[in-house]
Amino acid sequence: MTMTKTVWGQVREQLGDIGKIEVLVGIPTFNNAKTVEPVVNAVKAGLSKVCPPASVVVVNADAGSQDGTPETIKQAAGPDIRTAFVQHLADGFFPGPISLHALSESGVPGREHAFRAFFTVAEELQVQACVVVDANLRSLTSDWMEVLLRPVIEKGVDFVAPLFRRARYEGSLTNCIIYPLSRALYGKQMRYQSGGGYGFSGKLASLYLTKNVWEGEGAHYGIDSWLTTVAVAESCEVSQGFLGTKIHDGTLTGIELSLLLAQAVGALFHLMEAYQDVWEGSTGSSPVPQFGPPYEPGPEGGAVNVERMVRGFQQGLRDLLPIWEIILAPETLAGILPLGLVEAEEFRFPAALWVQTIYDFALAYHEKALYREHLLKSLTPLYLGRTASLVLETRAGTPEDVERVIETLCETFERMKPYLTQRWRFS
Amino acid sequence: MSILWQEAMLEAFRETTLRIAHVLPKLLAPLTFLALGLAAGWLVKILFLRVLRAFRFDALCERFGLGSSLAKTGMQQSASHLIGRLSFWLVFLLFAFMGIEALDLTATANMMSVIIGFLPHMLAAVLLLFFGVLLANFSAEAALIDTVNAQIQEARLIANFIRWGVLIFTAAMVLTQLGIAKEIVVAAFSITFGGIMLVLAIAVGLVGQNIAKDVLEQRLRRRKVEQDEMSHI
Repeated sequence: MTMTKTVWGQVREQLGDIGKIEVLVGIPTFNNAKTVEPVVNAVKAGLSKVCPPASVVVVNADAGSQDGTPETIKQAAGPDIRTAFVQHLADGFFPGPISLHALSESGVPGREHAFRAFFTVAEELQVQACVVVDANLRSLTSDWMEVLLRPVIEKGVDFVAPLFRRARYEGSLTNCIIYPLSRALYGKQMRYQSGGGYGFSGKLASLYLTKNVWEGEGAHYGIDSWLTTVAVAESCEVSQGFLGTKIHDGTLTGIELSLLLAQAVGALFHLMEAYQDVWEGSTGSSPVPQFGPPYEPGPEGGAVNVERMVRGFQQGLRDLLPIWEIILAPETLAGILPLGLVEAEEFRFPAALWVQTIYDFALAYHEKALYREHLLKSLTPLYLGRTASLVLETRAGTPEDVERVIETLCETFERMKPYLTQRWRFS
Repeated sequence: MSILWQEAMLEAFRETTLRIAHVLPKLLAPLTFLALGLAAGWLVKILFLRVLRAFRFDALCERFGLGSSLAKTGMQQSASHLIGRLSFWLVFLLFAFMGIEALDLTATANMMSVIIGFLPHMLAAVLLLFFGVLLANFSAEAALIDTVNAQIQEARLIANFIRWGVLIFTAAMVLTQLGIAKEIVVAAFSITFGGIMLVLAIAVGLVGQNIAKDVLEQRLRRRKVEQDEMSHI
């Protein structure tokens, strides 16, 4: 309630008495002065193709930038488009250095507060559509606005998720866990490529505000995962928009990867409890409408250090075994143990074993078998093992081969869903 | 003569009977207290077990690694059973001391007041020990997972170091709380902890300067070492 009043108060003060607003564009930022100007220029150019500038408001939610990001946005937006600035972390709140939400996928701390601010303003202004784009993108073009806005404005779609053309093994966390698991759970073939840009209807923005995900345990996890999950689980009209290539600033080290994994997977596990009634009865999956150019697999990517990944898996097996013994079912562990003896080149993590592993982690999360942050982070070496296996299986093949392996994995997740549902009921 | 003898006998018998009648309740009191102690201890134990089960205390202990710590010490029972047994013995001993006090012996005079005076320290020490073990396991587990994820080969060593550091600190606090050789405990703890830190500092300075340099460079300059270039999300 306080947040609602504060954010809306800030925006109303800056915009004054404004007429009917159709579209809200949200830009969450944190020290993005280097990249934000082209982003704003592309947004401006894109909006001019979709709707009149008078019916648009750009809201920047800044997490306390020290490099003049809001000023850069103001300058780039110019007088044609109305802009408002929200300091969403200004009220003495800042995520602690060891908390899960200390970092987000986009590098913006407390990213969920930025989204909450956009949805609050969207609800107050009763906008028809809301678009959120990341400020650290280097590949955002004016076409993005059309892809993200038109389905909402013209076709009555509630949610447009981003779909990117990515290099061969990019987004392997999405491809190995998030996409197959959510597809098996909710029956929608959404690629769950998080971050970049989203399109929402005003109705969905209001729905998000009513969900119990902004505070408490849910707020600790990455917002990107649950934005899509809530839209799918609430039976909203969902779609995907192909946005071309995604190039953004920032890379991840080992520790950051485990944090990222805990955020993304934790959000999915957390919502499994809230939407148990929805996913328990769902079987199979169906494709969702896609807008923009047709999706195509990406080209060869950068170097992938498979040996390092296998070493990471094997170290996990050596050091985290007592923790995995608590989480994994004995038959799953029996399948994993022999993988510790395999040479890097021969290393394979079978799809069925991987599915069983993820389902065991979901069950252990549900049963609170371990402190949840520890449980989620202890999945990292196993994830590295599965990713290494994916690379080793497909590196001699074409990009289409990678897509085929991902599709097979998704089907395995769907086929083995009874393993999860049966155990979930009795846990 | 016979009357005097008779009176003396009767007097002695009466005296003894009176003394026995006077002492017997005192002898019966400890037995009654023991019986009451058994019953009250059993009741408290059952009550504790029910409450702890209702709050899923064993699951909580498992989550924080206390269950595995107990198993490592050879305890076959769950944490809730252990607390149940402790509460039984605590209540039983209280009643037993009341029984001893009822005997009104000079040797045990003021024993109850001493015991009751010591009870808060005892409870504080038990609580300190409990939370200390929880914290030690929790911190060690967190360190182990993070160091394994960062692919630091000495992950288990670091985790054990943290676990034992917290345990030693807890033990020192418990002993200080109980008032057992306060000065010696504080001095021993300071020497041990200071010694460990000195050894580590010398070890890093002499042997691990390159490792420390690499780690700091990776942390502060974000230097890429054997890092793949893929984005996971």
